Amino acid sequence: MTAATALIADDEPLLRERLRAHLALLWPELEIVAEARNGREAIELFETHLPRIAFLDVHMPGLNGIDAARAIARRAELVFVTAHEHYAVQAFEHGEIDYVVKPFEEARLADSVTRLKSRLAAPQPLPSDFEAVLDRLAGELKARGGPEGRKYLQWIRASVASSVRLIPVEQIAFLRSDEKYTLVVWEGGEALIRTPIRELAEELDPDTFAQIHRSVIVNLRQVAQVDRGFNDTAEVRLKNRREVLPVSRSFLHVFRQM
Amino acid sequence: MSSASASAPVLRPALQEIVGALTWRRAAVAALLALGVAALLNPVFSVSFWVLLGRMMFIAALLLITFAAAGTWHPRRIPPWLAQVLAVVIAAPIATVLAYLPSVDGNVIELLRHEGRVMGFVFITASVLFIAPLLALGALYRERDAQARAAQLGFALERSTLEKEALDTRLKLLQAQIEPHFLFNTLANVQALVESGSPQAAPVLKSLIAYLRAAMPRLHAGASTLGDEIALVRSYLELMRMRMPDRLAFAIDVPADIAARAFLPMSVLTLVENAVRHGIDPGENGGRIDISARHEADGSIRVIVADSGAGMSPAAVPGTGLTNLESRLRGFFGAAGRLELHEARPHGLSAEIVVPASPAAGAQTATPGARP
Repeated sequence: MTAATALIADDEPLLRERLRAHLALLWPELEIVAEARNGREAIELFETHLPRIAFLDVHMPGLNGIDAARAIARRAELVFVTAHEHYAVQAFEHGEIDYVVKPFEEARLADSVTRLKSRLAAPQPLPSDFEAVLDRLAGELKARGGPEGRKYLQWIRASVASSVRLIPVEQIAFLRSDEKYTLVVWEGGEALIRTPIRELAEELDPDTFAQIHRSVIVNLRQVAQVDRGFNDTAEVRLKNRREVLPVSRSFLHVFRQM
Repeated sequence: MSSASASAPVLRPALQEIVGALTWRRAAVAALLALGVAALLNPVFSVSFWVLLGRMMFIAALLLITFAAAGTWHPRRIPPWLAQVLAVVIAAPIATVLAYLPSVDGNVIELLRHEGRVMGFVFITASVLFIAPLLALGALYRERDAQARAAQLGFALERSTLEKEALDTRLKLLQAQIEPHFLFNTLANVQALVESGSPQAAPVLKSLIAYLRAAMPRLHAGASTLGDEIALVRSYLELMRMRMPDRLAFAIDVPADIAARAFLPMSVLTLVENAVRHGIDPGENGGRIDISARHEADGSIRVIVADSGAGMSPAAVPGTGLTNLESRLRGFFGAAGRLELHEARPHGLSAEIVVPASPAAGAQTATPGARP
């Protein structure tokens, strides 16, 4: 039997050190051959040292523990390390993949060590749902990270004075095409941007923003009233603003169903 | 320009609008007045009262429809109310002529030959011309009154919505601020320090206690200064630096006179947590966070949290923390309190809180160092 070797991957140095110290007590024969600070390093160091065990922190910068697990796959015994027991339990409930929780508990870690020893003695195939468990874990992790970027524009970058402002789209009153530029008018001021109004019309959420004229996009939430004029045109007035925006005949349908 | 459609931000077919203006109330008033005028004119007329009443009713109905139809016309040169009154004035003699037509078999010349009919026509036209514009003005006055009331209701509704939003924000704030992931990871680090007998253990534990005390939900957030807030931010950053010493660097530069000012609790911390989570943590090499405060030329104060992270993607959904902060700033500092996001150079995000020169009336003066 070859010697027991392991890799530890965690972005927090104190925790790598701690796990190494715990393992030294519980399993003196285990040799820690490498320590990685992120998923990318974990994969590189795994390829160099080919340890038989990999302790992978789930949450790491760049590539995370799940990405590293996918790369290592069936070539080592995997133990996930996580501070968030909730999603670990959810993801591993039915899987045969081992995990330990931070802060480390001696007893729990000792259980893991026992299981690892028996697996090394009599290698078992990874559970068939290995990929599915990783997918589930990745899903949990993503959900915790908050809502993902949506397909619509949430911010508009605009140069104001000497700095580049990020303007939340919900604060924008309207956008007006001005030859080569587009004028952005929002609660906090006005700015010119280079993105043509055509492009913006495609990138903004159609539930909130509507093109009402060849050169005008309005934030529907900021519309106070629509006045009908001659010849199938109209004018839009905004809340707390003096500007009156034209609605041309071909965009009049925007207000038909309101 | 029209004000007639001010209460309805919709475009409706004109016919629907006319029918909408023909209320039962208006019809009743018109009918009653027609009855009154018929009764008044009855003694001078030779025809029966019922014929006279019939004519008056017909004229009243016609004028009411004229009034309603004129309301859908949005003239550009004259005010809409004048257009409506003028329409009624012009329609009055025409309606009277129409009312007389059946009695002369549609022959207008015949109408002019009969002196009694001409007199009747003059009488009716004169009284209609006297009453109709007054009535039209009365109706318009009532309409404007109703619009003003609707606008007032709208304001009241908007205000209660704002109040509800403020309450929601406060409730959200009261819910635990401390993320389990942050807490347990930090505790794991503290445990590591304690178990290895590191002298760092005591100061780190002190930082954790300061952070937890401030981040615990509080019902009555006491007076707090920017200095208090910065002390909390420092605790938080010390904890994070312990956890990622090779990836996080930070500097704090807040002048003493600004630090003494009353400030919104948990505001700068929200920005700093945001900078760590989205700016520093995702990158393998981390980055730095710089916190500073300065007086602006217009007397306002700007507190800046700049990170050197990847910056914000144009499609990144703003976290609830940032969205809440914006409305909390307005609640605490008034309309002049705001959050600005700038791109940092060469990369990263600079989140800046701008507050008015003097604290809003609602902000209490703070006793430095005192925290519940």
